Amino acid sequence: MTCWNCHTDTQGALFCPACGKITQAPRGETAFDVFGLPPSPTLDANALEARFRELSLKLHPDRFAQAPAKERLLSLERTTTLNESFRTLKDPVKRAFYLLKLKGVDLDREDPGAQRPLPLEFLEEVMTLRESLDALDEQKDLAGAQKMADEVGQRRKDALAAGCAALEKDDVETAARELSKVRYFARFLEEVEAMEEEALA
Amino acid sequence: MSGFMQIHDPLKPKGHAVGIDLGTTHSLVASVIQGKPTCLPVEENGGLLLASVVHYAKEGGVLVGQKARARAAEHPTDTIVSVKRFMGKSPSDPQTRKLGAYRFVDDSQSVVRFEVSGGSPVTPMEVAGEILRALKRSAEAHFAGKVEQAVITVPAYFDDAQRQATKDAGRLAGLEVLRLLNEPTAAALAYGLDKGSQGTFAVYDLGGGTFDVSILKLVEGVFQVMSTGGDSALGGDDFDRAIAERALPHFGINAPTPTQVHELLWASRQAKEALTGADEVALTAFGQSMPLVRADFETWIAPYLQKTGAVCRRALKDAQVESSELDGVILVGGATRTPAVRRFVATLFGREPLGDIDPDQVVALGAAVQADLLTNVERQDEVLLLDVIPLSLGLETMGGIVEKVIPRNSGIPIGAGQVFTTFKDGQTAIDVHVVQGERELVADCRSLARFQLSGIPPLPAGMARVEVRFQVDADGILAVSAQEQSTGVTQAISVKPSHGLSEEEIEQMLVDSIDHAEDDIALRQLREQQVEAERVLTDTQKQLAAYPALVDAAEKAQLEADMAHVRALAEGNDSHAIKAALLVLDERTKPFVERVMNQAMQQALAGHSVEEY
Repeated sequence: MTCWNCHTDTQGALFCPACGKITQAPRGETAFDVFGLPPSPTLDANALEARFRELSLKLHPDRFAQAPAKERLLSLERTTTLNESFRTLKDPVKRAFYLLKLKGVDLDREDPGAQRPLPLEFLEEVMTLRESLDALDEQKDLAGAQKMADEVGQRRKDALAAGCAALEKDDVETAARELSKVRYFARFLEEVEAMEEEALA
Repeated sequence: MSGFMQIHDPLKPKGHAVGIDLGTTHSLVASVIQGKPTCLPVEENGGLLLASVVHYAKEGGVLVGQKARARAAEHPTDTIVSVKRFMGKSPSDPQTRKLGAYRFVDDSQSVVRFEVSGGSPVTPMEVAGEILRALKRSAEAHFAGKVEQAVITVPAYFDDAQRQATKDAGRLAGLEVLRLLNEPTAAALAYGLDKGSQGTFAVYDLGGGTFDVSILKLVEGVFQVMSTGGDSALGGDDFDRAIAERALPHFGINAPTPTQVHELLWASRQAKEALTGADEVALTAFGQSMPLVRADFETWIAPYLQKTGAVCRRALKDAQVESSELDGVILVGGATRTPAVRRFVATLFGREPLGDIDPDQVVALGAAVQADLLTNVERQDEVLLLDVIPLSLGLETMGGIVEKVIPRNSGIPIGAGQVFTTFKDGQTAIDVHVVQGERELVADCRSLARFQLSGIPPLPAGMARVEVRFQVDADGILAVSAQEQSTGVTQAISVKPSHGLSEEEIEQMLVDSIDHAEDDIALRQLREQQVEAERVLTDTQKQLAAYPALVDAAEKAQLEADMAHVRALAEGNDSHAIKAALLVLDERTKPFVERVMNQAMQQALAGHSVEEY
C-alpha cells in the first residue's frame, strides 16, 4: 500500500511510517487481519477485547475531531470495519460462520447451493424439539422451556465444538454440516429467549 | 453529507467548546474551566437552568426561558413549551396534535410547523435552535469570547430522525455540533472522570418525561457502552398524574377543565417534591386542602418503578452483565430525587446508588467533558467514549417482515450489508424500505426511508443479487446505499430528517416489542413458510413443464399429490405443518432435480471445450 499523503510504502501499518497520517485499509482485509490474528475458530476473548480497546483508542473518529476531512473519513471507515470485525469475532458462533465463509461456504446465503443437506433424522428431531417447545409455550411453562434450552444449548455447544475442530483441520464439508446444525439449535434458543422477554414484561 | 465532511481550518479560532443538555423542561450549558466542568449562568438572575420555553412576540422578537414562560398563560399559541417532544416528528402523526394547544400549519409538507405571531411559521428544529442560540449567547457573555463548537445530548432512545433534527437545530444556532451524546453516557462521563473509576456501571436516568438506562464499562480510559434501554414516555410527570388522579374525587371534580387539570398537576408536583423531605404533606388546590401520606404515594408509583425494573433487567441481559458484577449505579434526572426511586434502584441493583453530582446538572457536565476531550489536544489521550445504536435497523422483506441488519446495542460507527435477491424472473427493480425498531413486522416499526433500486439486469429469479449497505456514524445517524453485485449499479440515499417517532410511538413500540415478541415470531415464521412454499411450488411446476421427458407417470402423480398437500397447508396458519410438507416434497423431487441438472449440464457443455469454463 502507498500512503495517500506522502506516497511512501505504508508496509501495512495503521499510520504511515513516513508522515504519520492514518492509512487506508488494504483491500480484502478480513476481520482476523484487522486484529492481526491468524484465522482460527478459537481465540482468547480477553485479549481480543484488550486489542479492540487499543485499536479504538488509535482509530476512533473522536481522535480525529479536529483533523482534516480526508483523515476523518479514513478514521470513520477504519472504525466501522473495526466495530464490525469485533462484533463478528467476539461471538464464537458468528466467528465460526465467518471463518467457514472465508473458506468458501456461506451458510447465510439462502440459495440452495449454499445450504448443506442434513440427515432427515436430524430434521425430524429438530421438529420434535420445536413441537415440545410450542406445547410448553402454550402452557406458559417457562421453567420447562429453560430446561430444554439448557439441553439444546449443550447440543449447540457440541455441534459448534465439532464444527470448530473440523475448521481447524480444514475439513470444510464436516464444518459446514456441523455449523448447519448450530443454526437450527440457535434458532430454537432464540424462541426461548422471546418467551423469556414475554415473561419479563 | 453529514458533519464529518466539513473542512476545518486549524488557523481559525473556534473559541470555547461547550456541552449542552437540551432538555424537555429545561436546558443547560457547561464548559470545562481550569480543568473542571462547570455549568454556566443562563437566566438573568444567574440561574443555571434555562426553561425550555420560546415565545414569539407580536412585535417580532423572540424570548427564551423564564421571560417566555411568563407569557405562556396569556399567549399559549405563541409560546412553545416542551419542543423536544416534537423533534423529528411528522405532522400526520396523530400524537403530534395532542401535545399542546398550538396552531399547526396544514400543508403537504412533511414537517411540523407552528403558526406563531410576528413572522412565518416555525418548525420544532427552529424553536430548539432558539434555545440553543440563547445558551450560546449566555456562554459567550460568560467567556466574553466566541463559542462555536458544542456537544449536544439526546435521550439514548432518540431515533435517526430525532437525532438529525437535533443536529440541524445546532447548526441553525450557529454551532458546529462536535457530537450528539447519549444522556446516560454523558452522566457516566461526568462521574467517571471525577472519580478516576474503573469497572462496570449502570446509569438510571429518570427525567420528567423519559426513562433511559445504560450499562457501561470503563477500562484503561475507554468508556464502552455495553447496552442501553429505555421508555420514552415514562417519567416524573407520571408521578404527578398519579397524585392528581386520586385528588380529583377528593375535591369533588368529575369532569375537570384543562385549566383545573393544569392547576391540580402543578399542586401535585409541589406536594410530590415536599414529600421528599416529609412523611405527610398537604396538597392544596382550588382553595381546598387534602392530606397526602408518603406511604400512599409510594404505592401509587410502584407500577411505574416496576416498569423501569423490567427495562433495566433487559439492558443487563443485553450487556451480559449480572447486577452483582456492577461496580456502581449512577442516578440522573430530577425524578431520582424521590426517596422511593432511590430505594427501588438500590434493591434492583443490590447496591446504594451514587448521587453526589446534582442530577439536573450531571448530563450537561458530562457533555462539557466530552467537548473538552474532542477539542483539547492535551487531553486527547485521556478518555475515549464508545457508544451504541439504541434501536435495531432493518429492511422490509417479502410479506412485510423486517430483516434486521444492525441489531440494537451494536457499537458505532458501524456498517452492515445485506444481500437481497430478485423474486421473479426478469425483475429489474427492487424496492428498499428502511425501518427502525424491535418488532418483527414492518407495520410496527418506524419507517425511515424508501427508495427503489432500478436498472437491475433482467435475470432468472434469484440470480440478481443486490447488496444494501447501512452506515451509522458516531452520532448514531444513518446513511444507506444499495448496489447490484453483477453490474455495479449503485444508489445512495441519506435518510431525511423530516420524520421521527413520537415519544408515544416509541413507547408503544417498546412495550409492544416485549408484549408481542411471541406473536411476531409465530407470524413471521408463518409468512416465511408461505413465501417459501410459493417459491418451491412455482419452481417445481416450471421444472415439470420444462422437462416432461425426465419424469415418469407414477412419479409425477406422487409429486403432484405432494404439491397439492403443500398448497393446501399454505392456505392455513400452521407454519410447522407447511415446513414438514415442504421437506417431504423436497426429498421426493430430488431424483427428478438431479436428472434435470445432469441434462442441463450436458446441453450446456455440448459444443464447448472445458477450458472455456
